[in-house]
Amino acid sequence: MSKRITLQQAAALVPDGCCLTFSGFTIWRRPMALVFELIRARRRHLHLVEVQGGPQSEFLIGAGCVDIWESCWIGHELYGKYGANLSRKVAEKKIIVEDYSHAEMLLRLEAAAAGIPFAPSQSSLGTDIHNPEYDMLGRAGLRNGDNPHIPRHKYRFMDDPFYDAGQIVLVPAAKIDVAVMCVQQVGEEGTVRISGQRYSDQEVARAADVTIVLAEEVVPEEYLRRDAERNAIPTFEVDHIVECKWGGYPTGMFGRYDVDGDFLRDFYQRTRTQEGFDDWAQEWVYPLDHAGLLEKVGVKRLLALKANTALQYSTSIKRGG
Amino acid sequence: MAADTRQSGELKYGLADLLTCAAAREVQDNEIVFAGTGLPMVAIMLAQKTHAPNLKLIFEAGTLDGRPTELPTSVGDARCEVGASRSSGLHDAFSIAQRGYVDLGFLGGAEVDEYGNVNTTAIGDYLEPQLRLTGSGGNPDINSFAARTVFIMVHEKRRFTRQVSYITSPGWRVKKWPEGTPVARRELYGAAYRGGPSAVISTAGVFRFDDESGRMYLDTCHPGYTPEQIADMCQFDLDITRVGGETPLPTAEELHLIHRVLDPDAIFIPHPQ
Repeated sequence: MSKRITLQQAAALVPDGCCLTFSGFTIWRRPMALVFELIRARRRHLHLVEVQGGPQSEFLIGAGCVDIWESCWIGHELYGKYGANLSRKVAEKKIIVEDYSHAEMLLRLEAAAAGIPFAPSQSSLGTDIHNPEYDMLGRAGLRNGDNPHIPRHKYRFMDDPFYDAGQIVLVPAAKIDVAVMCVQQVGEEGTVRISGQRYSDQEVARAADVTIVLAEEVVPEEYLRRDAERNAIPTFEVDHIVECKWGGYPTGMFGRYDVDGDFLRDFYQRTRTQEGFDDWAQEWVYPLDHAGLLEKVGVKRLLALKANTALQYSTSIKRGG
Repeated sequence: MAADTRQSGELKYGLADLLTCAAAREVQDNEIVFAGTGLPMVAIMLAQKTHAPNLKLIFEAGTLDGRPTELPTSVGDARCEVGASRSSGLHDAFSIAQRGYVDLGFLGGAEVDEYGNVNTTAIGDYLEPQLRLTGSGGNPDINSFAARTVFIMVHEKRRFTRQVSYITSPGWRVKKWPEGTPVARRELYGAAYRGGPSAVISTAGVFRFDDESGRMYLDTCHPGYTPEQIADMCQFDLDITRVGGETPLPTAEELHLIHRVLDPDAIFIPHPQ
């Protein structure tokens, strides 16, 4: 049976209240085409559990799609130093933020991917990340076991029982409904080939109950299976495939296209207020579809972003100030 | 950061140049260095081109011993991959840190206290924040496990604070949870202890930490600042008895490398006007 679906069908697999995560790293290889689609579909009450956030989180949070965000970082790197939409919603208490450290978030996904309920770490000891007063899901009364995505505790502490290494922090596995990936190539049966850094994509794909892959290209399985050691994710971990060129735009993709820094900077500068966000979304999201967005961005801009295939990044964009 | 150009004899340099060169001097040859985005990345590549040609660069997103020829704009950038020993993912980057391979990490912060505790999470009461910031990212993870960490910060009195709003990244005196008992870092980290913050490079001077007490002291003043002025720019009592003079100025070679070789497009380091 074919795993191929459309972007709209993929969006329908992410219902209201879904616990969701993504491929990529900050402003690289985020499944933005689907993120735009979820905003258009006016999805609500999403629970994002991300190794780290980025434009995808900021777009969804600004649009009011997200109730809970568990992660460690949000921003647009060089193009916007923090998540202005998250900051606003935190101040208005319209979102619950649960802070972990970056390594801890990775461990939460790794534990989930390995099928174990929690993971031990000695990172970030002594910080307020571990302060029980700042357990925000606990404060909201959501750690009573009713929500299968929310563990009973944010952390547990113990002393190393084996080698007397000292204090150990246990972090709960992440219980993810859907992971949406954005990659260079996928085979008809679901084999994923990622070029460049793999970030935490393998953990994310394995951790989720349902994994949807947006790929620049769907290629013959036989082609990918000639070099199996270059493949990152096996067929059976992938449930659905969407062929979507420029699916990561305005984030970048190794070997394919660079980050559109102007797009992200414009978003960051315009969306400090809700009115600003609504205005931006009215221009760039609601009236368009994926092809319409690319058309609006324009051939000239997209061509400048296209990567040099020897170097894997664009040599024709202006990056400096 | 504005160009903020200064002149010394024939040399024109910006404040960002001074900080970049000060940061580069923290790197020793053959070290394994965790590179953050921005000015630190330029500093590390500057060290690599001068006194530390054998340093090994780790990018948090998963590039090990990378040798980029063009400046990456973030650690997930395709430009990180050039010449790398291995390209992988976050698992490798963080397990390398936790395993104890990392000698030095460069980090940033919005607030720092006298024990080197750093906040990048929220300003004001965490439960009623005045401003939610980016969050921790890998700051505490790298700071937990690197033998030395160097923080690069804008110097304002409100940022060099008696007590940070939120301890995002652990200094020399931290809290043992779940009770929140004050405790020395060395004691809390047990077998995972490898060091901690070794310097803060601010826009006013370079600061280090006393081995015994873990308290910050002023090491060098940037040109134009006296120790007293800098002490007045801290909410806590800054030890200025150990000042070793002025922060060394960038050399002509360093300025050439920064502006002609490493960051010719002024992505992170503005050209002196």
